[in-house]
Amino acid sequence: MLSKRKSLRETIGWLQEEEAVCSNIIHWKTIPEKEASTVPLPADIAPRLADALKNRGIHQLYTHQLSAFEAARNKKSFVAVTPTASGKTLCYNLPVVQSIINNEEARALYLFPTKALAQDQKSEINELIQEIGLPINSYTYDGDTPANIRQKVRKAGQIILTNPDMLHSAILPHHTKWVSLFENLTYIVIDELHIYRGVFGSHVANVLRRLQRICRYYGSDPVFICTSATIANPLELAETLTGQEMTLIDNNGAPAGRKHFVFYNPPVVNKPLNIRRSATLEVRRLAGEMLKNKIQTIVFARSRVRVEIILTYLQELVKNELGSKSIRGYRGGYLPTQRREIEKGLRNGEIYGVVSTNALELGVDIGQLQVCVMTGYPGTIASAWQQAGRAGRRHGESLVIMVASSDPLDQFIIDHPDYFFKRTPETARINPDNLVILVDHLKCAAYELPFKRGDRFGKTDIEDVLEFLTEERVLHENNGQWFWMNDSFPAHNISLRSASQENVVIIDISETANHQVIGEMDTFSAMTLLHEEAIYLHQGTQFQVEELDWEEKKAYVREVDVDYFTDANLAVQLQVLEEDKRREKENITFSYGDVAVHAMATIFKKIKFDTHENIGSGPIHLPEVELHTNAVWMSLNDELKNMSQDRLENGLIGAAHALKAIIPLFAMCDPSDIHIVPQVKASHNEKPTIFVYDHYPGGIGLSEQVFSQLEDILKQAAELIHRCPCPNGCPSCIGTDTAFYSAKKDAHRLLEMFLMLGEK
Amino acid sequence: MSLSGKLQRMKRHIVREDTQKKAIEQPSFKGADLPYMDEWEKAGVKPYVSGDQFCLIREVRYPLLYKHGNHQFSDVTEAVAKWNHWEGTHPLSAKGMAASDLFFFDTETTGLGGGAGNTIFLLGYAKVQGGEVVLRQHFLPAPGNEVALYSSFLEQVDYTTLVTYNGKSFDWPQVKTRHTLVREHVPKLPSFGHFDLYHASRRLWKHSMDSVKLVNVEKEKLNIHRVEDVPGYLAPMIYFDFVERKQPEGILKVMHHNELDILTLITLYSHLSFHILQEGIGSTSRERMEVAKWFDAIGEKQLSAKAYSQLVEEKHTDTQITASHALAFHLKREKEWDQAVALWKEVCEKGTPQERIEAHIELSKYYEHREKQYTDSLHHANAAGTLHIEENGRLVEEIDKRLKRLEKKMRK
Repeated sequence: MLSKRKSLRETIGWLQEEEAVCSNIIHWKTIPEKEASTVPLPADIAPRLADALKNRGIHQLYTHQLSAFEAARNKKSFVAVTPTASGKTLCYNLPVVQSIINNEEARALYLFPTKALAQDQKSEINELIQEIGLPINSYTYDGDTPANIRQKVRKAGQIILTNPDMLHSAILPHHTKWVSLFENLTYIVIDELHIYRGVFGSHVANVLRRLQRICRYYGSDPVFICTSATIANPLELAETLTGQEMTLIDNNGAPAGRKHFVFYNPPVVNKPLNIRRSATLEVRRLAGEMLKNKIQTIVFARSRVRVEIILTYLQELVKNELGSKSIRGYRGGYLPTQRREIEKGLRNGEIYGVVSTNALELGVDIGQLQVCVMTGYPGTIASAWQQAGRAGRRHGESLVIMVASSDPLDQFIIDHPDYFFKRTPETARINPDNLVILVDHLKCAAYELPFKRGDRFGKTDIEDVLEFLTEERVLHENNGQWFWMNDSFPAHNISLRSASQENVVIIDISETANHQVIGEMDTFSAMTLLHEEAIYLHQGTQFQVEELDWEEKKAYVREVDVDYFTDANLAVQLQVLEEDKRREKENITFSYGDVAVHAMATIFKKIKFDTHENIGSGPIHLPEVELHTNAVWMSLNDELKNMSQDRLENGLIGAAHALKAIIPLFAMCDPSDIHIVPQVKASHNEKPTIFVYDHYPGGIGLSEQVFSQLEDILKQAAELIHRCPCPNGCPSCIGTDTAFYSAKKDAHRLLEMFLMLGEK
Repeated sequence: MSLSGKLQRMKRHIVREDTQKKAIEQPSFKGADLPYMDEWEKAGVKPYVSGDQFCLIREVRYPLLYKHGNHQFSDVTEAVAKWNHWEGTHPLSAKGMAASDLFFFDTETTGLGGGAGNTIFLLGYAKVQGGEVVLRQHFLPAPGNEVALYSSFLEQVDYTTLVTYNGKSFDWPQVKTRHTLVREHVPKLPSFGHFDLYHASRRLWKHSMDSVKLVNVEKEKLNIHRVEDVPGYLAPMIYFDFVERKQPEGILKVMHHNELDILTLITLYSHLSFHILQEGIGSTSRERMEVAKWFDAIGEKQLSAKAYSQLVEEKHTDTQITASHALAFHLKREKEWDQAVALWKEVCEKGTPQERIEAHIELSKYYEHREKQYTDSLHHANAAGTLHIEENGRLVEEIDKRLKRLEKKMRK
């Protein structure tokens, strides 16, 4: 018997009524549709451009597109906050194309965080150019640009689409080959602004300082056009990144259809340990139901492996189809042609299911689908909204289902829907004056053009750094100018993307003829996880570290199958170097400042699964690692009369675990960007103290952000523990490193004690 | 402010109207802010001042009869004369030029590779002028004097053709880069022809030499043996040290190194010209083979055919078969089928595996298309296929298709 296919409407009904499903739905929010708010094409738009728009069916602009056009025409730099599918590309393409129609010498530089995005946008702008019928040259310039057309791109390209890495290492150091670009640069477009945060953003801010310095040298003063997803501080981020005064454009006039946002928490399957059914399996069921009914659905997962697993499950549904499949995987690194094929398939209905990593969250336009299923909370409110934006055409209904994992942050979000819907998204922080990053880019800048006495870099006074580099014999001072005086090419030694200059590369040597790099790890974590004989878990597979080459920063691992794991002791010492900010009340002190972190791995233990017996141990011979960075530290001055030393220690460990989970809600960062160290007796004040520090030399602004919102963070961490249904602590709240039954209670109590400060 | 100081600052404005002539007669100007002036002067170095900047210029002259390696400098005049009498085209041809039009050029820089921050601190060149070879070097005494460096350089140059060693991809693009940074203050860079002897040397000698670096060419081909030469890769370090300590000793050695490089360019140009023009300097058969292949590549088919057939007749063991193979292609174009087939049959016996594969394929084509003898054609195609598998472990599509087509034709 042929069963009739359900419509989206009916599927929504199914979700609401099917007992096994709806009992797991924690929250259901319906966001009403929004009418478009449009304005006529502006009067001063070039007639050819207006005609081209009309031929493409655009007779009016959305309000934000007009604001963008006007700001750009008035030479005002701006950042436009644009949700998915709101027509953001016209925010920059209109003013740029108009400027070139009016003056063919005008040039524009587009920066995209990835090569794929640049190639994507090139096709988009070329369609517009073709419609206009003028020979406007737009080129991508990246590692794939063939050598024989590079010269043409440099001389004749009117619109150059590239990425910050290419700008940093290939364009700026060779600026003399780009004279016509730099002399006539009118607009610099920075798409996906919110991606430029943390270390990467701090690097890019310095690349932009170098870019502007070169523009000044050639006599141009370009206007910046930025577009950003919704974050808490788009204007601040844009201004810090570019060093320019900016206008905020957030009058989004694009229409949106009705959207259902469903919070789904898989059922608990093991009560004492508070273990829930795997999110992957739940996603398989939910997405499967949609796809069975041929409802266009996109599934997001956090890792490539997850994508593979879910894809395998879902393709079961269509295994009898011949030819190319109607349910596809989508990962970063796909070629433009493959992406086009998927896009086309989605548009004409041949493809109705896509499983993707976060790669798609980055503006690549694959068209709009009806349903979006997230396997786990994507990590930030901003990305959650971006992923949710993939479902929902401009008209008609759409459905977003977020399936939580057991991760503490997931559990927190799923329990606090209001928090998710009402709170402003995360703040993106950068610190362009991080000394390590700054010095790197001053070298590149000096290579590009000499510095004069009194020069600033952005707004930063740099004379001391220049003097320092002179002493280091990298620069030479002559007649009040500093010249590059070294035989190296500095940009080649500086990567914009590496979180730490020295990551340990993990190499799988299981197959003799096929050694493979399977991952990277920062040096701090490597000391305890990649020491020799360590059992390293990579995507569920056990590996044993055979050799750790600390000098070359390489760990050689081999696949094994053993019944134990290893646990290493890391002796961490934190030394407060300078306190910059302080808040205190009675029994609590919060401080922010500089610290030196000394860490040394001492011994490791082999611990048997299940029984947790100690079945062996060994020393770790690695040098001490030192890190100077920014940190927040909070101390309790109270005498903790009724808490033993052991309980205090375990309580602090539990509290630290909860804090680590909550902090990414406030500052946009990867969990590994922030480290938390609890100490029963901190060396500088002998008080119970929790340190939170930026895991990057010199800091990138995260702990400063934490300091300014510490009360809120503590409150949410306490809440996380309090609301967790487990009896004595679980991975979703205080973690499993605690050894006391009272740890959960103690951790909560300690957080409350820290909160004394908040209760003014 | 002292008058001399003022003068120095105003100099640019004062000299401007008549720069071209005056600049050459720059008096030895003691005002240049540089210690050890005596040592510089002893080495033939004089300052050149432009505004508040200055550079140093060293000039050396050599008689034309001076012998550097296995050629006198006067050989370059002879080579140019021979090019002028020679019928034919060639990338190194000086037809229509005089020896004085050649500008032998080399630089020293603070780093490897291109990039805006790689400073050229020494611009060196030589040319034949009035019965002598005049060699000049313009030296940047400290960064921040590049206006003086490029002004002095550009006032002096009136060349039509640069002669360099790898200057097409390194020296000249770098001159352009650094010139761009001072372009508002100095004359434009003129356009010019360019003989890059690195590419020529690679053509002739890459088979017989591990590395066709200039010093190796000097040793193995030009009979030039340097003594106490500073290796080029040390030049940046020596310059950085000079910029700090101002002691000329090291830099004078770098200048000497640069001077030898430039002098070698003169010898090498003569030497390469004689090889190409076959002016009896005892080219080896391999060198003649490479010259012939070069003619072939640039479309001088008659010249290459003539050279190939001589090599075939002379029966040198290392080139006879290769020349036969190349000549056979020429004969095929000329539709001299019998001769071509005879040569290819010999190549099939004695050639290198690659040559044998190609010869078999050519014979297969010949029998298929001209003679319609499919059995013979298939025999050669099979031989080519077998050889290809022996050599590369697999068949290529081209041969595979041929085999299939022939088998089909034979079945008809």
